[in-house]
Amino acid sequence: MDIRLGIFLVLISSVISVAEEKKPGSAEHNEDYDEVKSLLAAKCYSCHGALKQKAKLRLDTRDLMLKGEVIVPGQATKSLLIERVEDMGEDRMPPLEDGAALNPEEIALLRRWIDSGAKAPAGEPVPLGPSEHWAFKAPKRSVLPGNNANPIDILLEKSRAKLGLKMQAQPERTILIRRLYLDLIGLPPTHKQLHDTRAWESIVDELLASPQHGERWARHWMDVWRYSDWYGLDKQLRNSQKHIWRWRDWIVQSLNNDKGYDSMIQEMLAADELAPSDPSAIRATGFLARNYYLFNRTTWLDATIEHTAKAFIGLTLNCAKCHDHKYDPITHEDYYRFRAIFEPHQVRLDPVPGETDFEKDGLPRVFDDHLDAPTHLHIRGDPKNPDKSHIMEPGVPGILADFAPLVESVKLPAYAYAPASRNYVQKDRLDPVRTEVETVKKELTEARKKAVETPKEEPKPKSEKETSPEQHQPQFTFKDDFGKPNPELWELIGKGWEYKGGAVHQTNATRDTDRLILRSQVPRDFEMTCNYTHTGGATYKSVTFRFDVSADRKYANYVYTSAHAPQPKLQVAYSRGGKSTYPSQGLVAQPIEIGKLYTMRIAVRDRLVNVWLNNKFQIAYLLPDRKSSGKLELSGFDATVAFNDFSVRSLPSEVELTNTKNKEPPPDLKPIDSVEVYEAKLAAAEAKLASSQAIFTAEQARGNANAYKQASKRAALLEAKALKAAGKYESKAFATDAGKVKAAQAKIAKAEKKLTETDKATYTPPRVSKKALETPAHKEEQYPSTYPTTSTGRRLALARWITSPKNPLTSRVIVNHVWLRHFGEPLVETVDDFGLRAKPPVQQILLDHLAANFIENGWSFRNLHRLIVTSETYRLSSNPTGANAKTKAADPDNQFYWRMNVQRMDSQVIRDSLLHLAGTLNLTLGGPSLNPDNAVRRRSIYFKHSRDQQDKFLKTFNDADHLQCYRRSESIVPQQALALSNGKVPIEMAEKIAGLVNSEDFVGMVFELLLGRRPDVAERRECETTLADLEAAAIEAKKPNATQRARRGLVHALLNHNDFVSIR
Amino acid sequence: MDINRKLFLGRSGLGFGSLALSTILEGAELGMNGLIRVAPKAKSVIWLFMRGGVSHMESFDPKPALNELAGKSIGDTRFKYVQDPEHLKKVRVVVVNDANGRQRNKLYPLQVGYKKYGQSGIEVSDWFPNIGSCIDDIAVIRSMWTTDDNHGAQVQFHSGRHMLDPRVPTIGAWVNWGLGTLNENLPQFIGMGPRFFDRSDGHYLGPAYDEVKLKIDPKNPLDYAKPQGDITVEEQRLGFGLVNRLNLLSQSRYPDDAKLDARIKSYELAYRMQTSVPGVVNFDKETEATKKLYGFDQNETRPFGQQLLAARRFVERGVRFIQIMHGGGAAGAWDQHSNLKSGHAKLAMQVDRPVAGLLKDLKSRGLLEETLVVFATEFGRTPGSQSSNGRDHHPYAFSVWMAGGGIKGGVIHGATDDIGFHPTENPHYVTDVHATLLHQLGLDPHSMEVPGHKRLEKDFGHPIQNIIA
Repeated sequence: MDIRLGIFLVLISSVISVAEEKKPGSAEHNEDYDEVKSLLAAKCYSCHGALKQKAKLRLDTRDLMLKGEVIVPGQATKSLLIERVEDMGEDRMPPLEDGAALNPEEIALLRRWIDSGAKAPAGEPVPLGPSEHWAFKAPKRSVLPGNNANPIDILLEKSRAKLGLKMQAQPERTILIRRLYLDLIGLPPTHKQLHDTRAWESIVDELLASPQHGERWARHWMDVWRYSDWYGLDKQLRNSQKHIWRWRDWIVQSLNNDKGYDSMIQEMLAADELAPSDPSAIRATGFLARNYYLFNRTTWLDATIEHTAKAFIGLTLNCAKCHDHKYDPITHEDYYRFRAIFEPHQVRLDPVPGETDFEKDGLPRVFDDHLDAPTHLHIRGDPKNPDKSHIMEPGVPGILADFAPLVESVKLPAYAYAPASRNYVQKDRLDPVRTEVETVKKELTEARKKAVETPKEEPKPKSEKETSPEQHQPQFTFKDDFGKPNPELWELIGKGWEYKGGAVHQTNATRDTDRLILRSQVPRDFEMTCNYTHTGGATYKSVTFRFDVSADRKYANYVYTSAHAPQPKLQVAYSRGGKSTYPSQGLVAQPIEIGKLYTMRIAVRDRLVNVWLNNKFQIAYLLPDRKSSGKLELSGFDATVAFNDFSVRSLPSEVELTNTKNKEPPPDLKPIDSVEVYEAKLAAAEAKLASSQAIFTAEQARGNANAYKQASKRAALLEAKALKAAGKYESKAFATDAGKVKAAQAKIAKAEKKLTETDKATYTPPRVSKKALETPAHKEEQYPSTYPTTSTGRRLALARWITSPKNPLTSRVIVNHVWLRHFGEPLVETVDDFGLRAKPPVQQILLDHLAANFIENGWSFRNLHRLIVTSETYRLSSNPTGANAKTKAADPDNQFYWRMNVQRMDSQVIRDSLLHLAGTLNLTLGGPSLNPDNAVRRRSIYFKHSRDQQDKFLKTFNDADHLQCYRRSESIVPQQALALSNGKVPIEMAEKIAGLVNSEDFVGMVFELLLGRRPDVAERRECETTLADLEAAAIEAKKPNATQRARRGLVHALLNHNDFVSIR
Repeated sequence: MDINRKLFLGRSGLGFGSLALSTILEGAELGMNGLIRVAPKAKSVIWLFMRGGVSHMESFDPKPALNELAGKSIGDTRFKYVQDPEHLKKVRVVVVNDANGRQRNKLYPLQVGYKKYGQSGIEVSDWFPNIGSCIDDIAVIRSMWTTDDNHGAQVQFHSGRHMLDPRVPTIGAWVNWGLGTLNENLPQFIGMGPRFFDRSDGHYLGPAYDEVKLKIDPKNPLDYAKPQGDITVEEQRLGFGLVNRLNLLSQSRYPDDAKLDARIKSYELAYRMQTSVPGVVNFDKETEATKKLYGFDQNETRPFGQQLLAARRFVERGVRFIQIMHGGGAAGAWDQHSNLKSGHAKLAMQVDRPVAGLLKDLKSRGLLEETLVVFATEFGRTPGSQSSNGRDHHPYAFSVWMAGGGIKGGVIHGATDDIGFHPTENPHYVTDVHATLLHQLGLDPHSMEVPGHKRLEKDFGHPIQNIIA
């Protein structure tokens, strides 16, 4: 049949069936009224309905409209409603700033409805006010019969019975066990486990107690709580925090210890106030630290507000950022009161035992920093327009505020506000200082030994070596026009050199050290000129002029031009000890073209380098130092070059060089090697140790005012002494450098001044933690190294409000999330929104019972999981085939759970399952996030996960969106088929799995292992045929181990079977 | 009844609203997700996006006044009013106190000349002479505006929403969602080139509507295109065959399992994609003349030219939406805060010949009428200079152009003031480009909505009627 005709018929029948659904006795029901209601709901109800009654007017039923005298049935033109929506001026409804006007069609609809009598069905119910909303009233436990039957089964069977629904039977036990394992621990059962004959409850308890359970469910909660590793631009951290994997470890461990969900919420929001000396709990505040955003505090706090509310209480607070919520009883003020709760908090990295380098490890956590930071309402949500007339006090949404606890300030221990007072910090910071003392002692011993052994020499002061004795050197000139090879003048290294056309060409673009070395010694102060052309090359296309090149080439100073596409430039640079530095002050962005002739002129006097290109001055740069002898070289790096001619001569003293405007780079001076110097060094090191010890002692005395005062004084004294000793050492060690000596003397002077100020003197608190930048304009050094001694208590009050047994939302929201992840469908569809738009769920009685039960059982997840998976409902078959026809017709969407729903494995479960079946999964728990790589054998939860980093295989199978993932999406796309059939991991694991299955009935065993059931006759036949065909193909292709190869192919195919990724 | 009332294939199956049945019979087609397509002109879209912000006054909206007033401060000229805070307040800042996205007061002269082209005499800068030669097929829109002064504007241009709003589907995802596929062997939404701020398209529509990312490399054009292990072609054929037969057997065990059916189809498509996709990016069968047209003979133009030739080949095979991003780096290479002249000259060279080649090639094959080509960027650049030789971000006005797919050729729509600061006529927010595109494809954005994700008027935009033939 023609497809259009087919559609036509379908539509006709659907229209007819729609008509049949209309209520009997609907003579008064006018089709237009449905549309009118939709229109008014969209444009008017937010101010004139159950939520608000501006001007005391409601429009949400016909009777209310009559009561409000805004409609005159039969006379649209006389109706105030029409007058207002047609008004184009200030009286317009909706008001000019609240929404677009009604369009002509919409107004015509209203007119038509009113003119035809403004008809509506009789007995139209008045929508309830927000306080009557089902989710704002405490969930009730149901009264159940006294036997031990599962409440889920009792309550569901009750409602099934009303509709006459018949449950499906249980599926094969192996299918059930597979479902249970994948649900509870995210790993498939082995053969042995598939045939476990123990009671169901025993298996359940074993799985719930296994560490893998915490890992599997941690991944679910990481979705909801938006776990993300840090990201930004290159090295700049802009979002989340480093080492936030510690929060992930907290999640896994908390679940494995069955920590109550209420405790978990409290720790995530306020562990720093609740348990300020417990780093294990403080890890949880990674939930808040994750929202960190470098560039915009409002954006940061907006995310905090939105996702704290959505995740824990299912309210879309974010909709009230700019105006009162249009559907829920949440006001614009509510939004900013909620923000005020978070206004004081900032993020920092605390040190962890054994590590002082925050790049390597640390504990990201929050703390209240600016206790008095004011929150202002943003008019129309515009951060540029705060209402400074009043300060918003912290508070929760008014509709549910009656059980909100008071905010009480929290006094913090020194452990929290002065991390340097911690024992382990003291040890980690003092150990290196102690070691330094021992090291210097050894150096001194060595120096003393040497002084005894070697005869005294007249020490050559460094400065003499550094002065350039131009007057002692003869005038040097050199020229070569490269007309012909001159091996006695130049040493050629590398294969690509060719003399042709009056130039010497490097025709090989390599990164090797192909070069022309000038055999003569170039004077220290020189001027060189070279005409050359970049002729091509790969990426960097650099032509380099090196001088002072040491014999081992680890020391060199150089200038080069680079025709590198995005950033062509001229650069002065240097290598020390083999390591190259490309100072930004030595860089000139300069378009360098291939094929263009350049004249490079370099003049060097002492450390000062001047460069001209094509007679235009480019740059003056001060090198950190010079070596007195070294070679001059010409070369290309990743470039082909033609050098046309070259000349070099001593730099005449009358040639004036331009000085650098920039600060000099620190000269890489070595300290003088003498016993006296080492003695001073030891004195400085010992003084530093004494000072550090005194400082840490003072830190530990915090909390006791008197003791702290005494200890501070002593620490200040010793710190000044250490400064003096350091100054003394430096003035001796770098005696030849006037600048350094001056700086050292300044230290001594400063120290001596401090020593006289015994009463006022303070010591420098050690900086042992690292606060995250509030804006890129700040530098971390400007922040204090200790923190406020109290916390505002706002977040703790919020957490207690959320986890109050009186809060009607929290337990419902979480029970719904758990239910969704066991049954594949939630009880409440809008998992992140339990506001007024969420209609009472079909299974409200069940949801409420489970929610009340959850609170009564200490908010235990384990208890809830157990209740669910030991129910009969959980163990129903997912196959609707053979179901009672009436059941199918009455509940096609399975809202009464007469069968199980099929779910697809989450991406992490797919990958973990592949590895686990192959026996290659490394079950080590916890630790830093891993770089995505096919070779990784840890569980997938440990991969780095952020905007910029994700495992590709996981991404293909719908990984969590780091911005928001209250429910994983599930898609079926060809990219997944390609990933599972062509990906490295599935292919490798298929081979391993095939190798592990040792049985006469290979097909049966593998089928059952991968898909959870034995194959039927037809399936077995297909598998065996293909197995044989695969073996033949392998032999044909002359591949070794044909049988094993064929078996790999069979396993690989079964991994791609729909029932592998499906949890039946 | 509203004929554009949406039809949505929800989780619970098809849901039909009432429809004017006559419309169905009047030659409209039923698209994906049950959408009705009305009088479509275009079948496919080639979306070319220059990342970083192309200077509009040195591309498709030349401003000679900048030369007259070079070096003068805006406040000292007759254009003082452009910086009135009332005119600047629509911008929504992401990076507080950023070094970029500021007011630049000292007017910077044009860094390149311009000429009139074609019969229409439209002025195009000398950096785009080849595109200029095709101007009679092009509609230039000079009056675009957006509200992000930083590169989140890339997200905004593609999705219609500022990046601080929750992410919503991009225009490519909507087109993918709304249209049926024309080719059983290829994905219908393809993407090439770098992305940074927003790497997926579908968002709440689901990842099924994301682009399929491709590279021009016949050996490895897309992820997992070939077995990453020692598997012969025959072994793979046997494997896919077994999977298919076993899944088909499953259908009798699980009838009405929509997911099973979809998975079977996805495997069939995947199998074919393995050969069809590399085949499309293999240019052996193209003539030398064609390759030269796209700039294969020049190092600078070859990479982009290859992507565009692949796009034409995809269009021929019925792929619906091909988006090609040009300009690497996080911000986008066109982002010349300094060295505008050398930077833009170089980048323009990379795209000018290939784009002209694409237009000419599509035209000569009769494909231009059904293929809508869009050339866009996220914002323009400031009339005032930044760091002596660059221009800063300028969201208040910028240019894009469209060609083919029933768009008028040789026309200018919209204009800016003489220094290119604000639009003076027909200002268009980015979604007007989306609406125009959808209109040519026969889709009404008002019918493209999904329960639970209300869209506002600004999301739908309005088709730019003046440029529609």
